[in-house]
Amino acid sequence: MRELLNPMSKQFSEYLRDETRIVGWSEGICFPTSEHEIISVLKYLFDHDIAITVQGARTSLNAAAVPFGGYIVNLSKMNRILGMRRDAQGGFRLRMQPGCTLRAIQRDLTSKNFSSNAWDQQSLDAYAEYKKASPHFFPPDPTETSATIGGMVSCNASGAKGYYYGPTRKWITALRLVLTNGETVAIRRGETLATGRNISFYTEQGRRIDCYLPGYDMPHSKSTAGYYIEDNVDLIDLVIGSDGTLGVISEVEVMLFPVPETIWGVACFFRDEEKVVEFVMRSREQLDRMASLEFFDGNSLNILRRQKEESTAFAKLPYLDQRFAALCSLELHCPDEETALDQLLLLGRLLEQCGGKESDTWVARNESDLQQLVFLRHAVPESVNMMIDHKRKQGLDIIKLNTDMSVPNHHLGQMMTMYKRMLAEFGLEYAIWGHIGENNLHVNIIPRNKAEYDQGKRLFEYWAGEITKMGGAVCSEHGAGKLKAHLLRIMYGDAAVEEMRGLKTAFDPKGLAGVGNIIANTPGDESNENNCMHQTGTL
Amino acid sequence: MKIIVCIKPVPSSNEVRLDPQNGTIIREGRESVINPFDEGALEQAIKLKETLGGEIVTVSMGIPDTARLLKDTLARGADQAFLFSDRRFAGADTLATAYTLSLGIKRLGDFDLIICGKMSIDGDTAQIGPELAQMLGIAYCCNISEVVDVGTTHIQCRRITDGRTQLVRLPLPALVTVGKRYDMLRFPSISGVRQSLAIPVENRNALDLQTDLDRIGLNGSPTRVIRTFVPQRAHGSTEIVGDANKQAEDICRIVDGVR
Repeated sequence: MRELLNPMSKQFSEYLRDETRIVGWSEGICFPTSEHEIISVLKYLFDHDIAITVQGARTSLNAAAVPFGGYIVNLSKMNRILGMRRDAQGGFRLRMQPGCTLRAIQRDLTSKNFSSNAWDQQSLDAYAEYKKASPHFFPPDPTETSATIGGMVSCNASGAKGYYYGPTRKWITALRLVLTNGETVAIRRGETLATGRNISFYTEQGRRIDCYLPGYDMPHSKSTAGYYIEDNVDLIDLVIGSDGTLGVISEVEVMLFPVPETIWGVACFFRDEEKVVEFVMRSREQLDRMASLEFFDGNSLNILRRQKEESTAFAKLPYLDQRFAALCSLELHCPDEETALDQLLLLGRLLEQCGGKESDTWVARNESDLQQLVFLRHAVPESVNMMIDHKRKQGLDIIKLNTDMSVPNHHLGQMMTMYKRMLAEFGLEYAIWGHIGENNLHVNIIPRNKAEYDQGKRLFEYWAGEITKMGGAVCSEHGAGKLKAHLLRIMYGDAAVEEMRGLKTAFDPKGLAGVGNIIANTPGDESNENNCMHQTGTL
Repeated sequence: MKIIVCIKPVPSSNEVRLDPQNGTIIREGRESVINPFDEGALEQAIKLKETLGGEIVTVSMGIPDTARLLKDTLARGADQAFLFSDRRFAGADTLATAYTLSLGIKRLGDFDLIICGKMSIDGDTAQIGPELAQMLGIAYCCNISEVVDVGTTHIQCRRITDGRTQLVRLPLPALVTVGKRYDMLRFPSISGVRQSLAIPVENRNALDLQTDLDRIGLNGSPTRVIRTFVPQRAHGSTEIVGDANKQAEDICRIVDGVR
């Protein structure tokens, strides 16, 4: 077993950081290739009281994959699709190791070409039927397709199409979890439910685990803020979104969905950003085939205009008229072109009623145009990352300041007004974009100096309080990780976070898994966040 | 100004399938898209219409499903669209295609300019534009990079050749072909889609065009495809491990192998 554990060295230094650019520290790293190897490693580390940080593709935006001590368990080599089956309704389920990337899953589903050499007969039979069936896909679509399924499950990732298809949680039907002591739990949706706020289950080794669930209520909006808690909660939902704090996910089964016959994209530009909220409200009410509804403010559009001029990588961005002050981009997923056309024309009427113009739109009805809209959407966060990297190279010790908060539908306008007013008041450079259909906007502050960076962090904490008052969530799709764990104390209170610690202890009595994720240190202690903030140097 | 834009449907995927019987590309309607070079041609036409006024007519020879692509050109800014479609057109090489297009275009009345893509991404011949101009008896210039000026009697274009730039002045009516990704084709708007619903794509068959049946389709094509195949590509990857010296040795060995 010792041969699986590599002491930390320069060769592995890249694994000390994730998408946040925060750099942690670690005693060593292992790359298990099977559940058996995970178990061997975890048993050894458990016996020696060594903490673990689970990693997939390290695309976390909240430093969930950054180790602060202990060993890294990197699952990127567990990237095999293990099998396929039909469910009782005739749908397809795909079983895989946690290191499979979203890109690879999408590729194999589209090409219908899986490496099935080691599959059992049931899987091969289902595969033969899948090849003859209409195309299917796995709906969750976080922007970063290099994300692994294990990572997506851990933070309950979502994406643009989460508006219609829901987050990753909805598509996960079974999991295998290796506890920190090496015991395993097989979890199938619907099989293990809590009674009220008490849940009991057995490990495959026969040990019964009882735990009392925290008493808080989930917000009335899209959320990945802490453990998923409700009366009679399903065990699988407790594990989904647990940010690597309950154990190591060693296997995932996902549900597939038929690809809609007709997919059209529409970019709706507004000359006045004020008109957007009403448009969103009406679109949600009337466009029943709308699969996503995304927003980009005027600053985001200016970033794109600048990138198109200055960077060859973004030269293929379409020309953006200077009169455009905001963009709402959406997709229509329809059973046929006739329905799509009806929805498109209805959308046009809604736009005109809300002060927009049908002529200020781009309609994407083929793959090439759809890809252009996706490129445009992804270009904004990518550009902001590049801007932050540029500032870091100039010596500014900062990381990206990015909110992930959401509110119930009726508070959308209030939230947007609050963001705009305060950002203007403090004179900060920023861009706002995100999933406006789910009232989940990402405010990105681009600090010009350390003082602005600190100001931005304080602003986020203030907003966390205000969003909580509106019944919203401080984390909606990125998980809390280490960077936003302290915001959970603002949202739920210190007592609730201690209850979360109690839940974690039932799974992980020594507190070894995902230390610092979800559960920030002691009440009032911001060292979790400070730890992150002070470790932003490059190797 | 009346501008005609030639549109060709091409497979949307790189995975081209070939008919084992005659070696031609299997074109299944739903998978086809507008040839990317033709997108540049249409965008140039729309720009000229924006500055000079006039109308744009898109034409294509193809299977009935091609009407879907022509309808799309109407949503993006074309005013009329004509599809030359007949089973007897099937299997046409560039000569028979240019012949058919020339007959169709002659029946559209006077025009000022024809814009084509330089070539199609599936056939790669770049012959249709010049052949069509010859058959219509008009001046032409291939692979232009920019329209510099358009007057009532002439058009001036820029053309980049190996190491130099040419300014070419042509009398109207004329034909130009545009180079790769000449200009990104604009999206249609909702209002464009709405307007296009009222404009039919008009069909013309071999009889409508009064074609010489010996000059269309496979019969009218002197080109004979002897063999067509999809080249096999070898894919593979090697993990390079070990210390720096070992890795450097491995890389040298791989590079030597390539050389």
